[in-house]
Amino acid sequence: MIHPALIKKQRMILGISILLILVTIFIGMGLGYSSLSYDRLVPTLLGQGTFKEEFVLFSVRLPRILITLLAGMALALSGAILQGITRNDLADPGIIGINAGAGVAIAVFFLFFPIEAGPFVYLLPLVAFGGAILTAFLIYLFAYNKNSGLQPVSLVLTGVGFSFALSGAMIILISSAERTKVDFIAKWLAGNIWGTDWPFIWALLPWLVLLIPFTLYKANRLNLLGLSEPVAIGVGVSIEKERIILLLTAVALAASAVSVTGGISFIGLMAPHMAKALVGPRNQLFIPVAILLGGWLLLFADTIGRNIIEPSGVPAGIMVSLIGAPYFVYLLLKK
Amino acid sequence: MVRLFTDDLSIGYGERLIVNNLSVTIPDQKITTIIGSNGCGKSTLLKAITRIISHKSGSVLLDGKDISKENTKILAKKMAILPQSPESAPGLTVGELVSYGRFPYQNGFGKLSKKDYEVIDWALEVTGTSDYKFRPVDALSGGQRQRVWIAMALAQETDIIFLDEPTTYLDMAHQLEVLELLQKLNYEQQRTIIMVLHDLNQAARFADYIIALKDGEMVKAGSCEEVIVPQVLRQVFQIDAVIGKDPRTNKPMCITYNLLKGEKQHEKNISTLYAHASSDY
Repeated sequence: MIHPALIKKQRMILGISILLILVTIFIGMGLGYSSLSYDRLVPTLLGQGTFKEEFVLFSVRLPRILITLLAGMALALSGAILQGITRNDLADPGIIGINAGAGVAIAVFFLFFPIEAGPFVYLLPLVAFGGAILTAFLIYLFAYNKNSGLQPVSLVLTGVGFSFALSGAMIILISSAERTKVDFIAKWLAGNIWGTDWPFIWALLPWLVLLIPFTLYKANRLNLLGLSEPVAIGVGVSIEKERIILLLTAVALAASAVSVTGGISFIGLMAPHMAKALVGPRNQLFIPVAILLGGWLLLFADTIGRNIIEPSGVPAGIMVSLIGAPYFVYLLLKK
Repeated sequence: MVRLFTDDLSIGYGERLIVNNLSVTIPDQKITTIIGSNGCGKSTLLKAITRIISHKSGSVLLDGKDISKENTKILAKKMAILPQSPESAPGLTVGELVSYGRFPYQNGFGKLSKKDYEVIDWALEVTGTSDYKFRPVDALSGGQRQRVWIAMALAQETDIIFLDEPTTYLDMAHQLEVLELLQKLNYEQQRTIIMVLHDLNQAARFADYIIALKDGEMVKAGSCEEVIVPQVLRQVFQIDAVIGKDPRTNKPMCITYNLLKGEKQHEKNISTLYAHASSDY
């Protein structure tokens, strides 16, 4: 029962988003510290570039581009789900403590475990993922009430509380640590997309391949969870079960993204919001738009961020916040 | 045969019991109205019968099965609920909202079938909301919105429909419009309708069966002639009511009433006032 014109509009917006992503990828492939001119891009892609060109493209830029794209998508989807189950348009993965939880896990691991260069980088995302899941689990445990089940309001409040407590713990942890270690942790927190290698892509991709269709499959239930509770129960949604399943989905998505990119906020808030403003609140319609916009936003922010100051650039998380904070203020003013 | 009844039903929040060992029977294919003063447990009873809240003890039986053990989707094909002042999502259109009523019949991705579209169009038409199909629900007036929510409940295609104060926040004309629509649904399609109403005269005019509650216990249940009588109203609402007959419908109606406790309170207020006035001099 959706207006045909709206469906057409949604298709068009999907098309434009894909185009934006492709253009940004193309621009991103040619921008960076090492020069790789645009007229050499196509030959290099086809395997006719020099060793240096191929190295820059396939081992440096492409993995980073793909990682940011996928992480942005995962965060956007996670945010869309969380906004649905909490019935709160300002919810995002940060709110259920994903960023803070992963951050503390990274800090503890980095400070107290012996570091070996080789397998160490591959352990980090696992640690971050574990930290995020553990935090989400604890928040769930504290927010859950025996009589009334999982109430959205108490989930959000407990989540915000945990986030602050964990951020405090983080400051205590790193205040007495060595300078070099603190540098890495600070960068991680700022969301500097550090996991820029193919294995990280293979670690992130399956989550999306599985959970995007799964969420679309659940879209109808998300629609109903967005209405008042009695309405959802009345049409036969097992709200308690659906909330938990969807919460798990959101946590898995955000945790897998944050574990390779570092602490990135606002994408999960902005992308679903923009999508809803464009195509309305029906989950089937806005979720695909939100996913593409989320991917594009993070990619766009990182493409600017890594080229804005030579040579180290500005972390993507900070770029996103620079774009996100004004948007957040705009949202609040509009309300 | 009776399809729906409660057996020794007790409902409460925390330690507090709202409804205590209540056994009521809902007559089939009739309009039943639950009346009672604020906080008497009438909405709570409605919510427990429709599984929106869980009950402490006893049971609600529909077609011989305990609803707390029944699959919620199967129940949704048997009974629909219009809660008190339901909330829609911002920007959601009327057609979309009504289509959500088809949820119990859908599986998988929620693509609407031809049958779904037919039922949705029918529900919009019966409630007179077809013209707003593509308009956002939050842009409608209170009366229009209420009819849209009824359309959603109708799209569920259930024999039994529950409504919790469906006339709240509506003006007199719109109240009547909603109640007449429900009467029509009952008359033409033999749907069982159970609602909570505040207005006694509306209850008397539209209900075949009235259940009067007081402090979570049943005072009286029966036809309007049996329930809308001074003795029952005295007990249920603490009012001294004068009951006459509606000249048009021939149903009982409350013409005027006084508060039972209020009279004494009023006298007391006046005497304290005099006492104060005299002490000033």
